[in-house]
Amino acid sequence: MTERLIVIGGGGAGTAAATIAKRVNPDLKVTLFTEFPDIAYSPCGIPFVHGREIPKFQDLFLSTVERYIEDGLDMRMETTVTDIDMDRGTITARNTHEGFDKLVVCTGFTWEKPDVEGANLEGLHYVKDIRAAMLFDEELDGMKRVAVIGATPLGVEMAGNLGHRGLQVDFVDEGPWVLSEVLDPDVAAPVHESLEKRGVTLRLGTRLEGFVGSGGRVRSVATSAGELPCDAVIVCLHKLPNSALAVAAGVTTGTTGGIAVDDHMRTSLPDVWAAGDVVEVPHGLSMIPIRGLTGSHAYAQGRTAAFNAAGSDHVYDPVWVPWGMVAGDYTIGGFSLGETLATAMGIPYIVAKGVGVSRARYYPGATRTHVKLLAEPDTRRLIGGQIHGGEGVKERADFLAFAAKRGATLDDIAWMENIYSPPIGALFEPMAIAAQAGLEEVRRRKAVGAA
Amino acid sequence: MSTAAELKRRLRDRSEHHLMRAAVRELGAGQPGTVAPYRDRGGLLWRLLFVPLYRRVPWPLKRRAMDALRMTARGWQPPERRPREPWRPPPPDQ
Repeated sequence: MTERLIVIGGGGAGTAAATIAKRVNPDLKVTLFTEFPDIAYSPCGIPFVHGREIPKFQDLFLSTVERYIEDGLDMRMETTVTDIDMDRGTITARNTHEGFDKLVVCTGFTWEKPDVEGANLEGLHYVKDIRAAMLFDEELDGMKRVAVIGATPLGVEMAGNLGHRGLQVDFVDEGPWVLSEVLDPDVAAPVHESLEKRGVTLRLGTRLEGFVGSGGRVRSVATSAGELPCDAVIVCLHKLPNSALAVAAGVTTGTTGGIAVDDHMRTSLPDVWAAGDVVEVPHGLSMIPIRGLTGSHAYAQGRTAAFNAAGSDHVYDPVWVPWGMVAGDYTIGGFSLGETLATAMGIPYIVAKGVGVSRARYYPGATRTHVKLLAEPDTRRLIGGQIHGGEGVKERADFLAFAAKRGATLDDIAWMENIYSPPIGALFEPMAIAAQAGLEEVRRRKAVGAA
Repeated sequence: MSTAAELKRRLRDRSEHHLMRAAVRELGAGQPGTVAPYRDRGGLLWRLLFVPLYRRVPWPLKRRAMDALRMTARGWQPPERRPREPWRPPPPDQ
């Protein structure tokens, strides 16, 4: 008899799980349920359409429902799953029970809502669904001033892009610099300067106290530094795992509130896998579970769940979290952890810093690339780092995350091979420059200690 | 969710919040472009007791405590990060 796999959720993890499971085991009947009318688009591109860096929302679509149906998937659009009954092996959607043999839960996240007065007023916008974004984009045409709450990665992208669109943007956060939960303070100055050039007014060290409205619509934001008039508010706080459905079915969650999974993306229930923003996975260095990672993590987790649900055997490794983004016009990135997080966690580290250039210094368009590496003091193995500048941030963050995962040391990086080709790479690799400086500092300290 | 699970979640949430606050305040001081973070009046015990105590405990001990409290991931095997002798250039006289 044909086995049936049901995938709940049509985001990056859910789509990957459904399409890949069908590819791995074509005999499997695969049904995907999503509460939304659209699928296979990139929500990460939404801020850039608002900022008019990308011409239109349609450019964000990668495929169509029809294409998935042609590939043999049973697609249930705009269909919310309201219950999972593990005893009967059924899910409930639109008051109908449907049986499954295997289940993959990819229910994603919801945005944290501010716990202040006025949070239910109209005009508070959360970036997630592309249809809501299209409507909001039309509203933006008639607006002059907006407030962005939360200097998270999405907050930085929204503030920078709305500034680029010509709106006055008040960017409110309690922290002393933007992205203070991720980025180290030595990168704050160029990031702030770049955002301010785009017309963003930074309101840092400022607490959100409420939203003030009239006629049911927000008119201003009340903060510890006074009231900020606005036509709309974009709320960019933390992602929360949308795990209620799975929890009601008896799935175990972990210390982040995300679904606890093993290295096969198996949940605590038999024949139930989970992937994406709804799960927590361990950090490779500390083995402490984390969640709310990138779209590429969600896709890879969905892929792992698919292989295993389709009868194959695939392991997902603990994560070293390469990350990168453009803040205003300035590129920043890193992997694993920076100095701020290492200090907060109490993890001992040594720092290696260096600056190089992205191309041969004489080649037009060369930009400075700053690299900071964190390493274990005793073994000098990499444990984290941050990179910023113009070109090549993403590639270096990806490489360093992989190198750290395999146990590379400062010495390895100091003596690494690199490409020298004037238009794409300088003679001296910035990562190697940083590692060499770090080793020099270690030698200097040892010499001082021995003297 | 059990009370123990809820307690563990709460412990993690609050401890992370206050440890990050302390680290941000410490590392950000005097850095160009940064301002003073908003000073929350709440969480006095966390700030005055937990953060200094946590910082006194060496990392390996903290890791073991997290393992004992089952606050690290179960069912995972990290790939081996084998420390090895790094490659070094030959001495100049060879």
